[in-house]
Amino acid sequence: MEDGQILDLYWRRDQQAIRETDGKYGKLLHGIAWNLLHSREDAEECVSDTYLRAWNAIPPARPGAFRTWLGRVTRNLSLDRWKSRQAEKRGGGTELLLGELAECLPAPGGPERALEDQELAVLLSAFLRGLSREARAIFLRRYWYGEAVGDIARALGCGEGKIKSSLFRSRKALRTYLEKEGAAV
Amino acid sequence: MRAERLFRVLGLVDPDLVEEAEAVRRNPWKRWAAMAACLVLVMGLGWLAAGGFPGYGSGMSGGSSRPSGNDSASPGASSGSGADAGVDAGIAFQTYAGPVLPLTTAEDPAGLTAERTVTWDLAPGTNRYGETRQWGAAVTDAYILRNSTAEDITVTALYPLAGSFDSLSEIHPAVTVDGSEVRAALYAGPYSGGFQSAIGSEEPDTLNLDSPNSWRDYKALLESGDYLEQALGDYPVLDMPVTLYAFSDYAAPHDAYPAATQAVSFTIDPEKTTVLTYGINGLDSDGNFRRYSYFVPDGIRREPEQKLLVVLGEDIGPYTLQGYQNGGCGQGEEIDGVSCAVTRRKTTLAEALDLACRACLEWSGTDCVSEAGPVTFEMYRGAAAELLSQYGPISDTPMDRYSDGRLDDLLPETLYQDRVLYLSFPVTVPAGGSAEVSCAFWQAPSYSHPCSGAENADLQGFDLMTRLGSSLEFTRQSAALVNTENAELTEENFGFLWEEGRAFAELDLEQEHYYLIIRPKES
Repeated sequence: MEDGQILDLYWRRDQQAIRETDGKYGKLLHGIAWNLLHSREDAEECVSDTYLRAWNAIPPARPGAFRTWLGRVTRNLSLDRWKSRQAEKRGGGTELLLGELAECLPAPGGPERALEDQELAVLLSAFLRGLSREARAIFLRRYWYGEAVGDIARALGCGEGKIKSSLFRSRKALRTYLEKEGAAV
Repeated sequence: MRAERLFRVLGLVDPDLVEEAEAVRRNPWKRWAAMAACLVLVMGLGWLAAGGFPGYGSGMSGGSSRPSGNDSASPGASSGSGADAGVDAGIAFQTYAGPVLPLTTAEDPAGLTAERTVTWDLAPGTNRYGETRQWGAAVTDAYILRNSTAEDITVTALYPLAGSFDSLSEIHPAVTVDGSEVRAALYAGPYSGGFQSAIGSEEPDTLNLDSPNSWRDYKALLESGDYLEQALGDYPVLDMPVTLYAFSDYAAPHDAYPAATQAVSFTIDPEKTTVLTYGINGLDSDGNFRRYSYFVPDGIRREPEQKLLVVLGEDIGPYTLQGYQNGGCGQGEEIDGVSCAVTRRKTTLAEALDLACRACLEWSGTDCVSEAGPVTFEMYRGAAAELLSQYGPISDTPMDRYSDGRLDDLLPETLYQDRVLYLSFPVTVPAGGSAEVSCAFWQAPSYSHPCSGAENADLQGFDLMTRLGSSLEFTRQSAALVNTENAELTEENFGFLWEEGRAFAELDLEQEHYYLIIRPKES
């Protein structure tokens, strides 16, 4: 079923919308939540919560890029859950990811100005468009989809060393870019 | 905290970048090219060893007209299947529509031969929405059955359609025999797919559906004839005794608690008891403890009024009812004023399933099941019983997808799961004469989602099987395209001959699979 038809089901308040969403995107969303949480139970709950959010948000929302919209909700819910689980020391893949992302951040205390999320997202999109297609895909697979380095290497048919090098270069470039733009995070 | 913010804001980057990242992967054609190079080398050596042309077999008959070195693929081709390399491997469409399948008969059609012509009409507006864009095709699958004997032959013709109960109104099949429309009986095979992991191969769960995604899946499904036999057979009889708990007469302080919740808690011995539910939203389990819960119907939310606990095996222990504030059943969230009536009676699983099926249809508001057919309530209930028996908690090989026993999941899925539907109608072919049979329907294309970034996102694929599952002896098959001005043909293995606005091809009866891929022209 096409996304437009699924969104129509949400707008008609037909719970078939959830089933169609699950059938079409369940695997993707479970994959994202699993990458970040490494817990089947938590991943399932995050995906279920994603569907609940979708049900409550649509209507009035009618996301133009439904797949990405769902993935974004799952990422945020997974991050929330990871934080709540931190006290229980249940691990997951998020800690590692955030540690890597910290390398992208300009040092605090400079002349940077605080940006709204959307402004910062525009900058990030511009930065990503400046990367090569492959480097961009590697960066987003790691930090958007939360994929493990080994999984990215398998998907792209190259060694883990190449993925790590690419990520390292991109993180460094992002930090330089944000500093140059005077953007505080 | 800053890294967390960066992580969250990364979620807001432009969707096309996110889609692209998922789509970028190793170019499979590099691998196929390497394998093909090896294959060519091996075949070449074999050819030389066999002394050149005389020793060369007919191994290319299956795909001989496929242009070499083309990066497109058959609609049904599954990526990653090494055995397919060199024939039709490549990028699969994300949604596979299923092939056009050939007519068959319930009885041995001895004395009959068949000529077949399949026509795809690519005119815009052939879909049920009448949209002006080209989408899918109106298919006419026509047969001339010839009887070479001195006796009239009457057979039960069976025309298979890849689809689902809820797609029938879209497929809208129509059958004619010698020019007169006939009312065909419908038989439905079971779910035609399997199940797959939701979270990766490291966790061998079976939470997701794995629908057929290539013509090869249909070949595996239909080749032995077992599937057709099951489709024509009786549905399972679920006459095992159950204890049925039915909930009704709900009350709750909805003004104060818009999502007031009722929970019913008890203990079971999981080795001796299986619980199926309908209309129940929540389940907490811990060891032998079970707590099922549901939002108390308020006449506003679209919740099933019918709520059932179906207990197979040993009955549940004493149960307690407790109201909660808002869906959670946490300590401290208990509220008073939530109540319902509970009836308990002994019955059979068949009757309990009947109740749940009726409630599900009423709740869903679907019109694809009706007494007028083609999908009757008895057929729907039978298919649900089949799915429950084959993959549900009462199965010998239960799937994780249904392990919670939620009929709310299983019953709606019965409506839209892929299956092969058979149109059944009698045909009499006079002695020494012929009969013309035609099956017309709308066929959805195989396609990839437009926002997926897939290279074939603007293409539509169609598959044809020449003899899969058919008992008929074909003497000739041909294919035609009409109204081709609406689409650009990007790839096919029919070997079409072109005229203005149409195309025609004679088919090789030994070739089991044909495909075509089109790109609609922008109107």
